[in-house]
Amino acid sequence: MGFVVPGHLPIGIIMTQLLTPLTRAWIALLILSIGSTIVASLADYGLGTTATGAVILLLAWFKARTILSRYLGLWKAPSWNHGFNWVLAAFCLILLGLYLVPALM
Amino acid sequence: MQELATKPMQEPAKSVLDELPGELLMWVLIISELLVFGAGLLAFLGVRLTDPAGFAEAQEHLNRTSAAFNTIVLVTSGFLAARALHLREQSKRRSARWHLAGASSLGLVFLAIKVFEYWEKAQLSITSESHPFFTFYYLLTGFHAAHVIAGVVILVLVAWKDDPQNIEVGASFWHMVDLVWVLLFPVIYLLA
Repeated sequence: MGFVVPGHLPIGIIMTQLLTPLTRAWIALLILSIGSTIVASLADYGLGTTATGAVILLLAWFKARTILSRYLGLWKAPSWNHGFNWVLAAFCLILLGLYLVPALM
Repeated sequence: MQELATKPMQEPAKSVLDELPGELLMWVLIISELLVFGAGLLAFLGVRLTDPAGFAEAQEHLNRTSAAFNTIVLVTSGFLAARALHLREQSKRRSARWHLAGASSLGLVFLAIKVFEYWEKAQLSITSESHPFFTFYYLLTGFHAAHVIAGVVILVLVAWKDDPQNIEVGASFWHMVDLVWVLLFPVIYLLA
């Protein structure tokens, strides 16, 4: 017994069908975590603090959203999911503002 | 009387709180912890305003690679805990227990790396008194590590007493620890 994978389907569609939303969330978290570390190291090579800070916090927001939605199951409660997303977005914006203040002075 | 008898039974109005998955008290705990750590991170960046150069210099002593690896360890551990609940709901008890064992083992890996990180700082004579950066660093990562210890114990307990409700509560606590880390990690380790 096993999966019957139709030969004419592109690999992307096959993967989407085989992976559960939870597994996709995990893979997304791995990619986002590695991505944020790479972006941070780009700052060492002269990329602007505004850009790197914004991208790092944006990726952190995506990670938090993924954990809330898929790990903690908030996808089953859309109104709560949206509420958490907005509050976390506002929090990350405040963090970004505080981070950028010294660069603006 | 007859009217009452023929009237269909009305379901009680559903509160918005009923939409939340899992235990309400666990969500109260999750929100409280997010507020505590959130306040800590705001204070960290607030104090950084007084000495941005000193904070940047202090941050160079952190091991960014081991912290990034720890992020991967923790999100993978969270994945195993979430899968354990799905498996238990499908009555696959043995498999669910193995997943919980894997999740708690990865929690121990996280702690081992954290201890190594603290040991590295101790070798450089860096303490919480060395700089305000390190005061916050030890306070926030240490408090988080205490939650990881509690989470590992809880995961072991729910693997033992493995009814689905227990696993759901234990896994939720573990995801909260995960959630806090994905906010802590970029602010303390990455924002130079």
